[in-house]
Amino acid sequence: MRIQMLVYCAGLALCFLGTTAARSEDGWAKVIPPPSVDTISAAKLAKVQPGTSTKTEVQALLGAPWRILQFNDCGMSMPGQADESWDYRGRNAKGTYRVHIEFDDSDVARFDDSDVARLVAKIPDRAAGTKGTRAKTAPPDMKVAMKM
Amino acid sequence: MFHIHVPRLAKGFGCSFFLVLGIASQAPAQGPAAAYPPYGSAIPVITNTEHRSGAVGEDTQKMPPPNGPNEESIWNMKVEGFNDNQARPIYQPLIVNQNGREIMYNGNLSGTAMNPLTGVSESNGTSIIDVTNVKRPKFLFHIPGPDPINGSFAAAGAQMVRVCPGSSMPNAAANGIAGKFFLLRAFGNAGANESHQIWDVTEPSAPKFLTTIISGLSNTHKSWWECDTGIAYLVAGSKSDGWQQSGSTQHVYIYDLSNPAKPQFIRQFGLPGQQPTASVATQQPCLNAPSDTCFEGTTNPPGGVHGPISMGTVVNRVYMPYGVGSSGVIQIDDRMKLINGCKATGPGSNPNASPNCQNSPTQADLLWPQVSWVTMNPENGGHSSMPVFNVPIPEAQSNFGDGTPESKSLLFVSSEGTANNCFGQAPHDAWILDIANEQTPWPMATLNVPQFPGNFCGKGARFGAHAVTEQIYPPYYGKIISVSWFNAGVRVWDIRDPKNPKPLAYFIQAPTSNTAASCSTINGVTNCFNATMNDYVEYDDRGFIYAADRAGTGVTILSLTGEARNAILPQSEQ
Repeated sequence: MRIQMLVYCAGLALCFLGTTAARSEDGWAKVIPPPSVDTISAAKLAKVQPGTSTKTEVQALLGAPWRILQFNDCGMSMPGQADESWDYRGRNAKGTYRVHIEFDDSDVARFDDSDVARLVAKIPDRAAGTKGTRAKTAPPDMKVAMKM
Repeated sequence: MFHIHVPRLAKGFGCSFFLVLGIASQAPAQGPAAAYPPYGSAIPVITNTEHRSGAVGEDTQKMPPPNGPNEESIWNMKVEGFNDNQARPIYQPLIVNQNGREIMYNGNLSGTAMNPLTGVSESNGTSIIDVTNVKRPKFLFHIPGPDPINGSFAAAGAQMVRVCPGSSMPNAAANGIAGKFFLLRAFGNAGANESHQIWDVTEPSAPKFLTTIISGLSNTHKSWWECDTGIAYLVAGSKSDGWQQSGSTQHVYIYDLSNPAKPQFIRQFGLPGQQPTASVATQQPCLNAPSDTCFEGTTNPPGGVHGPISMGTVVNRVYMPYGVGSSGVIQIDDRMKLINGCKATGPGSNPNASPNCQNSPTQADLLWPQVSWVTMNPENGGHSSMPVFNVPIPEAQSNFGDGTPESKSLLFVSSEGTANNCFGQAPHDAWILDIANEQTPWPMATLNVPQFPGNFCGKGARFGAHAVTEQIYPPYYGKIISVSWFNAGVRVWDIRDPKNPKPLAYFIQAPTSNTAASCSTINGVTNCFNATMNDYVEYDDRGFIYAADRAGTGVTILSLTGEARNAILPQSEQ
């Protein structure tokens, strides 16, 4: 019940932010700020498993994503890159971050029902340096299973 | 390497070029009545502002290294304004002067994001932003894209935009379109029933759907619309029309959209070897086994077309890049023959056109408009092919040939880098081709952004060339060229001495909390990075430069400063 309230409050906060932005004079010139609370608990995030978690399961765990992206053009995904990714935003003591979940890859036929997460990463908005943020991926044998 | 099919054309081209110069000298430099493609068919005149020693004789500027990967980097440019585009990833931007208002149309890649104007999460479509005041761009409207199919957005998005004023079209008054503006956009990217649409955007904050030109498509891509004739070159594939391509499966559908409410189909077109009747199983490369059933390029069937560029009725040429990021072909076509090649009579007609020329042409039908073609190496594809005509060659203003000042017509070609962190692919660059003799295009120079300094292959996202600017802004024409270079940002070269193009300016947008992560697996380890990816760079008719981000970070409006500003000034003011 307490968690539901938290999610509800976070939703209200997002709506409020949107409303505030809608009234800004400069017509959305500013980046919409991320939520002021950490809406994604580590325990929930740990349940998102590359190789097994489906879109339906991810949505049940984390709610609707803040943004869905598909970088591909010319009707195809690029080798090794996702067909679709879901972004969530959050904030913790270290600052703001995004949870980035990728589905499918170029080896999975498009327009099928394959909707299994292939990658999960929690990425600080201000990641330092060029090392990047290590992502959680499916084990190699599970990736093969996904392609089938 | 080159195939010649239309002899004697160069002579006609040369004559028409002087006509172009005459027209252009009277053309307005800016405003809605701009006379240059795609709005008209005139070409700006380029005056030589270089010393005869060219770029080599000048003090070479030292290009500063970029800042760290989380920081903005800028050289000889200034940030004038910004809009976050509702965190949607932009593919193609276009800025149009609509009766004094500068309106930006962004074709977005697929996905969803919240539209704060409606309070609804909308499928990515077309963003419309008023950029009249570049300091305070105002997001006016978002036309949603297609809904997902079976929960997947792989088929959605509306990446491509073209806009024409109705007043510039033939028969505008009779068709009731004078004073109106129309948006041509792709609707969907890879589904089984995608389309090209037209919207009435006379009032850009309240666009109205007008019509679907053609549906049942897949792989819609970058189209071109001649605003003075209405002829449109729509790019798409179809699962049912039988055309054959490798990789990106798309070819050209040519329409007459001079009355936007009543599209008139003209023909389908592609590279020899792509036609429905091509025998892919047995056909050999035209390069070394020419026949009446061969394929052009190095891949069988050839890769799809990316985006044609027509230079209008006077120049009478259409430039078509095929292959996108690999096994490319650059094709130069005679526009009249392309449009009218399936007719038996009239200008450009082909008395020997086959009965099915419009939808299922023979190889001979496809060769009828072809002036020449260039086979690229397998590592590179044709993404952009933008011509610049009659660029003075500084060293050849008096001492070569008969002493007459020499100019060259050039074709700027880019391939597309597609891999995150460069992993698994060769570098992708852009090039300058000499097309003074258009039957035999010949390389003149390479436009390269070095990986170091900047460690661009290590900072995440894509690194490499993408698109060459397509809008003609006369003060920049033949002086500078801008190319989007993904995580290396907007790149500007001084091309006044085109044999020695000189890096002149750059802008790399800093990532924000809206920047989408780019992930890649190298040696079994997967990492995700925050890096912007400049997808397209485009000009408006005031000279502002728009850097559109593919990673959802928004659009940055720029101006030139310092040496870059000097490069576009007359010699007396430099």
